Amino acid sequence: MEQSESEHSEPRSWQRPRKMNVGPAERKASLAGGAALAVSGLRNLSRRNYASGLAMIVAGGMFLYRGQTGYCGLYDAMGVDTMHTQPGGLRIEKAVTIGLPPDEVYEFWRNLSNLPRFMKHLEAVEVTGPRTSHWKATGPGGISAEWDAEMMEDTPGQQISWHSVGEADIPNKGSVEFKEAPGNRGTEVRVTIDYYPPGGAAGKAAAKIAHGINAQQLEEDLKRLKQILEVGEETTARRTAE
Amino acid sequence: MRAVCWHGRHDVRVDEVADPQILSKNDAIVKVALTCICGSDLHLYNGYVPTMKKGDILGHEFVGEIVEVGSGVTRFHVGDRVIVPFPISCGACWYCKHELWALCDNSNPNAWMLEHMYGDTGGIFGYSHLYGGFAGGQAEYVRVPFADVGLERIPSGVPYEQVVLLTDILPTGYQAADYCNINPGDTVAVWGCGPVGLMAMMSARHLGAERVIGIDRFPDRLQAARAQCQAEVLNYEEVDVAEALQNMTGGRGPDSCIDAVGLEAVGTGFEGIYDSVKQALRLETDRASALRQLAKACRKGGTLSIVGVYAGFIDKFPMGALFAKGLTLRCGQAHVHKYLPHLVKLVAEQQLNPSSIITHRLPLQEAPNGYKMFLNKQDACIKIVLDPQAGATGT
Repeated sequence: MEQSESEHSEPRSWQRPRKMNVGPAERKASLAGGAALAVSGLRNLSRRNYASGLAMIVAGGMFLYRGQTGYCGLYDAMGVDTMHTQPGGLRIEKAVTIGLPPDEVYEFWRNLSNLPRFMKHLEAVEVTGPRTSHWKATGPGGISAEWDAEMMEDTPGQQISWHSVGEADIPNKGSVEFKEAPGNRGTEVRVTIDYYPPGGAAGKAAAKIAHGINAQQLEEDLKRLKQILEVGEETTARRTAE
Repeated sequence: MRAVCWHGRHDVRVDEVADPQILSKNDAIVKVALTCICGSDLHLYNGYVPTMKKGDILGHEFVGEIVEVGSGVTRFHVGDRVIVPFPISCGACWYCKHELWALCDNSNPNAWMLEHMYGDTGGIFGYSHLYGGFAGGQAEYVRVPFADVGLERIPSGVPYEQVVLLTDILPTGYQAADYCNINPGDTVAVWGCGPVGLMAMMSARHLGAERVIGIDRFPDRLQAARAQCQAEVLNYEEVDVAEALQNMTGGRGPDSCIDAVGLEAVGTGFEGIYDSVKQALRLETDRASALRQLAKACRKGGTLSIVGVYAGFIDKFPMGALFAKGLTLRCGQAHVHKYLPHLVKLVAEQQLNPSSIITHRLPLQEAPNGYKMFLNKQDACIKIVLDPQAGATGT
C-alpha cells in the first residue's frame, strides 16, 4: 500500500501517451465552434470582407486543431490544463469495521454490481469482462459521467484495486482492503480513491459529479455498506414511501 | 393523523400529517395509546439542539398497540400491547451485541453528522436530525424500525399508564443508579428532582442506597422527592450544596453523585451568570454549574453518574477534582433494551411505581399548552402524559 502513496504524488494521465491539455467535452466544443468559425470566415471572404474572413478561418482552424488533437498551444503557454487540472489528483480515504468475516465482505464487494447499492453517486456498474467493467455515475439535475475500469489486483478476502481506462469522464483509481479486525470484531474495510476532477467550463457536468465524491460521501457510503451487510438493508428514517 | 410538530423555538403545533407506512420488513406500526413530554424535549423546545426542521414530529416516550407488522417481524403480532424504547437499535452490530444499545452503529442514517462533532451514536425517535431524523411518538401512529429488537410486550392486566415511563425515564434513572455500583450504607446525591431525578432516586433506593439526597430549587419537586422517593432534600438556592452534603455525610461526601440536570443547569451567583453569558454568546454550548458541584461534593474514589443531556462543550470543568479524588465518570443515553425486561417485571409486581410522578393527563391536542406549562413548571407540573386517542377523528 505504501507504493501507491509514491505513485500518487506524480501527475499522470493513464492511457494517454500524447501530450494533451484540453478536456474531452471542451474538445467537442472546440470542434463544433472551430467548424462554425471557419464556415463564417468563408462566408465573409465571399462577401469580400477579406481581413475578418481570414482571421476567422485562422481562428477556426486553431479550434479545429485543438479539438482534434486535444492540445492547445495557447493553453500550454498560459499553463492552463483543462484535462488534468489537479496534478496528482485528490485522494480520499475512509475505513469502517463490519461485523462479518473478511471473505464475506470481499465477496459482496467483488460482485461489482453491488457497489451502486451503497455508493450514492453510482447509478450502475456493469461487468464487461473478467477484469473489466463499465461505471456510470450521476449527479444533481440528472447529469452523468461514465468510464471503463480495469481491475489491477484481486486477492480474495484481502484486496481489490481498480483504475479507469480510456477516455474517462472522471479519471480515477481506487483500492479496498479487507483485514480481519481483532477480537471477533469482523472486518476492517479501508477504501482509498484517487480521482482527477476534470477542469474547464466544458467539464462542468463531470466536475459536479466529481465534487460529490468526497470524504463525507465515502463515509456515508461505507456506513450504508455496513447496514446492508449487518442488518440486511439500508436504514431509513422516512415515515412514508413518498 | 394528528402529530405534535416542531416549528421553531417555543413553537410546537398539532398538525395533520400523513399516516406512517411500513417501509422495511422489520418495521411495525404502533397506534400510540399514551405518550409523554420529556425534559429532554424541552432542550428541543428551547432550541438548544441543532438540526431540527419545521414539521419534525416530536416525542420519544410512547406505548401502544401494534396495528401492522412487516414480513420479517416474528416476535410480535397485530394487537400486541408494547413499550417502545426511545433509542433505536439494530440488534446486529457490535454495540447492540454488547448491550450498548443506545450506541447502535446502524440505526442512525445521519450518523456522519455527529461523527464530525465527536463520534456517532444511534438513532432516537423524534430527537432532531443529528439522531437520525426519525418521526416521534407524540402522534397517533409511529413507524417503529427493528420491531423484533426494540419492542417489549406489556404483561396483560398492566395498564398503559403504569408502563409509559419505561420507554425512557425509568430506565434512564435506573441506569444512573446502576452506574453508581451502590453498596450497603451508600449515600447517593441526585442533582435535579425532575422526572429523571425522581426515577434515579427511586432506583437508588431500590438498589439498596442507605440514604438518597435530592437537590433542586422548586418546592413542589423537593416535596415529590420526599414523598415518592423517601429522599432528604436540599434547596440549592438556600444552601451551599457541597458544604451541606459534607455536613450530612460526616465530612465524607456522597459515595455517588447523579447529574439529572444536563446542559441547561441554572447556576447561582457569579458562576450562574458566567455560564449564561457564555452560552448566550455561543462561547459555551452547555451550562455546567450542576456538574461542577457534583465533582466538588463527591467523596474520594466515588462515582459521578451523568444522565442529564449534554450536547456540546462546557467550560471550567473541574478536571483537577476528578483526578485528585480519583473519581469515576459514567454517562450516556440509557441502554433501555438492557433494563426493560427486569423493569417491566418490577413494575408489574409493583415493586416500583414510576407513574406516581405523573401530574398531568392531557389530550394530544393540548400539547402546545403542555410544553409551555412543563417549561415554566406551572401548576406543580412534573410529568405530562398525552393521550392521542382522546378526541381522535376516527382514524
